[in-house]
Amino acid sequence: MATNFRLNDTAVTSTVDDDTPLLWVLRDELGLTGTKYGCGIAQCGACTVLVDGAPAPSCSLPVNAVAGQTVQTIEGLSENRNHPVQLAWAEVDVPQCGYCQSGQIMTAVALLADTPQPSDEDIDAAMSGVLCRCGTYPRIRAAIKRAAALSREG
Amino acid sequence: MTVTLNRRSFLAATGAALVIPFTVSGVAKATANPATLTAYLRIEPDGAVTIISPVSEMGQGTHTGHAAIIADELGVDIAHVRVTVAQQPGPAYRLRFGQMRSVGSFGIRAWIDPLRKSAAQARTVLTEAAAEQWGVDKAALTVENGAVVHAASGRRLPFERLIEDAAKRPLPEEPTLRAADTRRYVGKAVSRIDTAAKIDGSAEYGIDVKLPNMLHGAVRLSPVFGAEVDSIDPASAPGAVAVAQVPGGAVVVAESWWKAKQLADGLSIRWKPTPHDKMSSADLSKAMRAGLGVVSAPAAVSRGDAVARLNAADRVVEADYEVPFLTHVSMEPITCAAQVSDSRCDVWMSTQGHDVVLDALKKATGLAGESIYIHTTYLGGGFGRKTHGEVAEQAVIASRAVGGRPVKVVWSREDDVQQGQYRPVMTARMRASLGSNGRIAAMHARLSGPMMGKEYEHVTIRDNFDFFSHAVLGNQRYVAGDYRLDHHEVDVPPSTCPWRAVSSSQNGFFLEAFIDEVAQAAGQDPLAFRKAHLADHKSHMAVLEAVERRSGWGSPLPGPNWGRGVAIVESYGSRCAQVAEVEMVDGNPVVRRVFVAFDCGEAVNPGQVEAQMTGSVIDALGPALRCQITLKDGRSEQSNFDGYPILRIDEVPEIDVEIVNTGAPIGGVGEPGLPPTAPAVANAIFAATGKRRRKMPLETA
Ligand code: FES
Ligand code: FES
Repeated sequence: MATNFRLNDTAVTSTVDDDTPLLWVLRDELGLTGTKYGCGIAQCGACTVLVDGAPAPSCSLPVNAVAGQTVQTIEGLSENRNHPVQLAWAEVDVPQCGYCQSGQIMTAVALLADTPQPSDEDIDAAMSGVLCRCGTYPRIRAAIKRAAALSREG
Repeated sequence: MTVTLNRRSFLAATGAALVIPFTVSGVAKATANPATLTAYLRIEPDGAVTIISPVSEMGQGTHTGHAAIIADELGVDIAHVRVTVAQQPGPAYRLRFGQMRSVGSFGIRAWIDPLRKSAAQARTVLTEAAAEQWGVDKAALTVENGAVVHAASGRRLPFERLIEDAAKRPLPEEPTLRAADTRRYVGKAVSRIDTAAKIDGSAEYGIDVKLPNMLHGAVRLSPVFGAEVDSIDPASAPGAVAVAQVPGGAVVVAESWWKAKQLADGLSIRWKPTPHDKMSSADLSKAMRAGLGVVSAPAAVSRGDAVARLNAADRVVEADYEVPFLTHVSMEPITCAAQVSDSRCDVWMSTQGHDVVLDALKKATGLAGESIYIHTTYLGGGFGRKTHGEVAEQAVIASRAVGGRPVKVVWSREDDVQQGQYRPVMTARMRASLGSNGRIAAMHARLSGPMMGKEYEHVTIRDNFDFFSHAVLGNQRYVAGDYRLDHHEVDVPPSTCPWRAVSSSQNGFFLEAFIDEVAQAAGQDPLAFRKAHLADHKSHMAVLEAVERRSGWGSPLPGPNWGRGVAIVESYGSRCAQVAEVEMVDGNPVVRRVFVAFDCGEAVNPGQVEAQMTGSVIDALGPALRCQITLKDGRSEQSNFDGYPILRIDEVPEIDVEIVNTGAPIGGVGEPGLPPTAPAVANAIFAATGKRRRKMPLETA
């Protein structure tokens, strides 16, 4: 059965089995590969997207669960990498292999939307679902603080 | 793409691009007349600079380092330098073991001189071309921002106007390098050239490859290590485009990966029994520990007569240690896309093992190397695991099974965790005698466990010395005299594979945990004891003194359950000392702070050196504290991140890094930060509790 939802401000339709995880619909059916597979069991956060603004593991979300909703992926975050979180990520030079970073960035975007000036505890609570095998965590923390400062400065 | 090493055909093929090969000294002579050229510097007629690098980018920052080296020596802005990976492991690019492989922390240290030389050659012929055009002495010319400049007259000629002429000139054999003080990038914390692509989702990893008409493959492989297929019932995968048998299992091919995966999970498949169908980790541990007591074993290092001296000594310190299997869990799983015909094979792959993959593909296809093309994407982590070629073979078999259509095979995380290629299990018995001067007089290290080098036919194990098993212990600096390192071999069912820092990871733990025990027996401070033994080694002393100073070694800690531990490990040509501060909470260690001092000689990009040190400590802490692969019924008991819990952001200690440079030759960076962490933590646990934990992981010891 077809599933309709909004993806990065465009109406889309998925025609694969409607219990297919959103992750594979995004990657293989709709061709947006910025969202990554890491575990398939909601353990690593590499597949995090925003569903109506809230972070969700797309590997564990059947596509029919987002029918009628708005999904945002890394590709829809900005036109020119100029979202404050991306600017901060570039300034701090966060990525190593980079594979986890879409999940990190989308999760940080949701955190900052809710909590514009997060404490270390807020960062821990929001970000601990997203693994980074390369250990970029200290730079992720610094970049979130930098993004908060960028937004504060306007 | 393979370019023939004949200047005329270069010019014809490249439209007068300036193309200069990288050559490794020592190897270059043996291959003075190579048939093909695969890694090189290329300057297009429009001035664009491309490095066809022999090294993959898997997060370690090598491509940024290569770009910085070339940009400085050539005199261009780093923003104009692009880096791609050579498609074929040509003979001139095979290091040490006949490799084109991104391993051994060689990415910068092996290539800095060849890269600089090629850029200097390019700069020289560009400068000569300008000198001739202007009729001035080439010594009066400099380069700047992609142009040759004549300061006296204020004239400038951009490279693009000189390429055609420069490409006709003979390359100087020994070009003059630019003065170090002209460098804009090397030695500074330059931003990575791949950051932009890695923050907007556009960086292409192996798993992201899309090819016209492509199908998807999922694997179903034997849960018991090394079991062969008995039978497969293809009818149990209705709707599959193909079910292809591969070594140890099957690839199921379908229109989408999700569908292929579900069909693979439901596939009816049986495996033949193996001798280890019932084997558990306890069995392995017992077999290895028995080997510690075997009277003699082949010696990898033998100086003097350590065993006799130990047997005759009054004060002998002895301790046994054990480490488990570890897996790599690169964030990007194992994957390969392949398209194969009777005359040509292409693979798109996040690989760090080009020559291994090439060999696997030659075998799988029967094609000659010249007909095989390896297209390298970014790697979502490698850590040693992506040196292997089994997934390339699976993708080729799958492509054949569907008439040569491209197939992308992606392993699930469960496949990745359960299919072996582990950092080996190992046990060690360490013995040392103390002289009346309070120094170690003789030492014997006995390993008992698998010998990993045996899995690599192309690696020479020389006189029982196996680099894949004997690093660190092979060149320990504590005992110059009587010393013996020997190894009782115990075969294990899972395949083993380089894991970040390879044998330095376990041997660093054995040696540095033991040295702490010897210091204790000698009644000496563990850091002072190390310095007393390493006084003749400038770099060792520098990193030890740096962590001593930065950690406030000897100053009071916040509470009674706290402890500080130190370790120093030399690996991959670099020295790394670490001090860990640990608080015991409910009997388990919580690592609060780690101080790192590191000497790799010249730090090409200090920002990335710092990132590698921080990442290595975080990487090491998972296994130091709790990660391990255990066996039950001949298979792995773990399957995903829930059973193999690497560190999360809320558990990361404060990490302090100091880069020191004692003028030592340039060393590796990606791996040497890892080995000191686990022993520093183990030694800190002792300092906090007065009890030794000699078995990793330390949480469950
Ligand atoms: S892939 Fe979804 S949480 Fe890991
Ligand atoms: S940057 Fe490699 S997994 Fe996070």
